[in-house]
Amino acid sequence: MNSVLRAIWRAILAVYNFFVGDAVILIGVSLTMVVLAMINFLGGLASLRGASGAILIVGVVATLLFTLGREVFRPENRQPT
Amino acid sequence: MQWAIVIAAFLASAVEFVEAFTLVLVAGITTNWRSAILGALGAAAVLAVIVATLGVALVTYVPIEVLRFVVGFLLLLFGLKWLKNAIQRYTGLKLIHDEQAAYEANLAEARARGEPAKTGLDTFGVLLSFKSVLLEGLEVAFIVISFGGSGAGGIGNAALGALGAGVLVIAVGALVQAPLKRIPENSLKFVVGIMLTTFGTFWGGESFGINWPFADLFLLILAALYLVVSGLLITGIRLRLPRLVKARATSPATTLVPEKGVQQ
Repeated sequence: MNSVLRAIWRAILAVYNFFVGDAVILIGVSLTMVVLAMINFLGGLASLRGASGAILIVGVVATLLFTLGREVFRPENRQPT
Repeated sequence: MQWAIVIAAFLASAVEFVEAFTLVLVAGITTNWRSAILGALGAAAVLAVIVATLGVALVTYVPIEVLRFVVGFLLLLFGLKWLKNAIQRYTGLKLIHDEQAAYEANLAEARARGEPAKTGLDTFGVLLSFKSVLLEGLEVAFIVISFGGSGAGGIGNAALGALGAGVLVIAVGALVQAPLKRIPENSLKFVVGIMLTTFGTFWGGESFGINWPFADLFLLILAALYLVVSGLLITGIRLRLPRLVKARATSPATTLVPEKGVQQ
């Protein structure tokens, strides 16, 4: 059973690494899409629909900024003295 | 002819073909060309089946909005990954990917197995060639289906771009008989990252009913925007980590952020 679970987990990891391999990018893009879906489908947020394009672009840029920021602040990337 | 799709698929596929070709070259030199070519052809056949079944099924049975959303989402993931890695390499956060070094490392590893060159089929050669062509080819297939699945006749245009890249890389590789070290790989990856992110944003937005200003021309505006943002990020990181960048530029052996097994 354990070996089956391990194989499934390895398969999931392989798919994840193939498509993205970076949790910040996955979460950032997913969150942006969820926000856009809410704006598109919830009547209460209909007034924001005109800004959907800008929200999408800001979400993408913010995701890139966060994932690069994480690399910059890694301990391995501290300034050599 | 949808040139934007052809060019995007061409550039994205060229990167994958270069990587696959390097490993086929290793297999051919360390074992024999018969094994390397057989492995590559076997992988190409498997890929053809995947593209034919998945590509046709996707375009025929899935509504265009759903397809645009999935394709846009996946392109954004792919594009941001490529863009991030290219920016990291430009800024010294990660070493520039060196096909020559990769070629020599694979060659040394293969020779370390201590087996003399054979004239018959060699299992290692066939498998190495098959595996590399299949893995990199899957990425090409994904690119073709993604770019092609979002518009009428798109699969044909994307496949044409990928085919052109494949023919070019193989022709250049056969002519120079070297690991294609002259191609500025990181610049190519940077441009591809920008294009994938641009198309991902555009199609992802269309799936939510966004009407982009100037229609398809907005692709150019998006690409320019992401180019400017990436340029600012590269400049910002270089200003923040000048000593780190300098140290890594002069010492290739400096500790690097691990690649986490991610292939571009």
